[in-house]
Amino acid sequence: MKHTLKYFFSSCLILSLFFANAQETTPTIKSKDTVTTGVLPKKPAIVTKTAVVSKTDSIVAPVKTNRYGIRVGVDLYRLSRSFYDKDYKGIELVGDYRLDKRRYLAVEVGNENKTTDDDRLNFTTKGSYIKAGFDYNGYENWLDMENIISIGLRYGFSTFNQELNNFRIYNSNQYFGEIPPIASGQKFNGLTASWIEVVAGMKAKVFNNVFLGFSLRFNRLISNKQPNNFENLYIPGFNRTYNGDFGVGFNYTVTYFVPIFKKKVVPVETKKETKKK
Amino acid sequence: MKKTILLLLILCFSFSGCEKDDICDANTVTTPRLVVTFYDFNNSSVEKTVDNLSIIAEGMEEPITFSGSNLINGSTVSIPLKLDADTTTFRFTLNSGSTNPAALPNEDIIQFNYRRDNIFVSRACGFKTNFTLNGNSPFVHSDAATADGKWMLQVNVKNNIIANENETHLEIFF
Repeated sequence: MKHTLKYFFSSCLILSLFFANAQETTPTIKSKDTVTTGVLPKKPAIVTKTAVVSKTDSIVAPVKTNRYGIRVGVDLYRLSRSFYDKDYKGIELVGDYRLDKRRYLAVEVGNENKTTDDDRLNFTTKGSYIKAGFDYNGYENWLDMENIISIGLRYGFSTFNQELNNFRIYNSNQYFGEIPPIASGQKFNGLTASWIEVVAGMKAKVFNNVFLGFSLRFNRLISNKQPNNFENLYIPGFNRTYNGDFGVGFNYTVTYFVPIFKKKVVPVETKKETKKK
Repeated sequence: MKKTILLLLILCFSFSGCEKDDICDANTVTTPRLVVTFYDFNNSSVEKTVDNLSIIAEGMEEPITFSGSNLINGSTVSIPLKLDADTTTFRFTLNSGSTNPAALPNEDIIQFNYRRDNIFVSRACGFKTNFTLNGNSPFVHSDAATADGKWMLQVNVKNNIIANENETHLEIFF
């Protein structure tokens, strides 16, 4: 019940976040039709090449540039949790590289050490993971804004070990009473798992080259090397496993954008003119 | 875009409901009990009902409860074994509490010797224990301190592996 509530409230929080941004997008949809961008198709109207054209040119004058580069950062959630949760130590480094106007190559690398204390089990999971894939920015930015609302895919791979600290034996007959947890200390090494993640995320520029981001992930296991007489109930990077192959995760990142080069988004109409001259 | 976000939210909410694996399902096969079936000594294929049988483990005050009753009147009973020891001793008292001179209480003692295997079940249930009765001395059958003769004429191990309660593990002929 405690967990259910936790998930419910965090979902509500996510909801509120998304709606705030969803409202921002509405004006830009209109702007798509009027403001020229790099992908606008060539207009068939080559009729007027007189003084009228030069007038329209002066309107287009503020040229839009897209900055390309590498964004690197860290997951604040995992970092901060390491301080307040004595059963958790973890770090996740995130990075992406802009491929073109909308697509980004994205990578997350992390290491986690988590002790899960369930009613009947207590175990420690230690391991590292890497997730690689791409993000697709569906957000149409105004002028030189660089915000991102993206959908992406990742392939995740984790290598880890589990240590069963103690466990309880389930006995529906209580004649002898419940026996105390049994200490185990059994270690399961060399475990691996891989999965696919669907990522919904957003990144907003807070100042200069610093971005704050949030992403929500739905995971599905592809492979899972289970230990003998135990189960991978937690996988670094994937988070807790449920009865099926599904899982959820999220991160809250702060990233720094390192610009490498710029590409000017030249309106199509002016391009055409230069060619003909 | 708005639609995708909404879709994701719905997905998210549906996931938050998926917490059913926090409670151990009652239908899950967990730690089994030892199933004893009583047979007629003179006609070994016929099950025989015991009258007011009480079974008390050594060191316990109360007899075990089977089907909601402390006194067993039936041809089969399931007995829990200790999870923290490799032996459990029970006092089987037939006609418990009876004052009828024709059917006076008679006590036999059986000590079960077994090996325990802890097997992982699930996150919610934790582990279960399966038992294996020792090959050479699965049990020790003796009369009570007050020698009144053994009422159990023969005791057989049917299945020495106790992994579920669907089969008889021990047969008692009387």
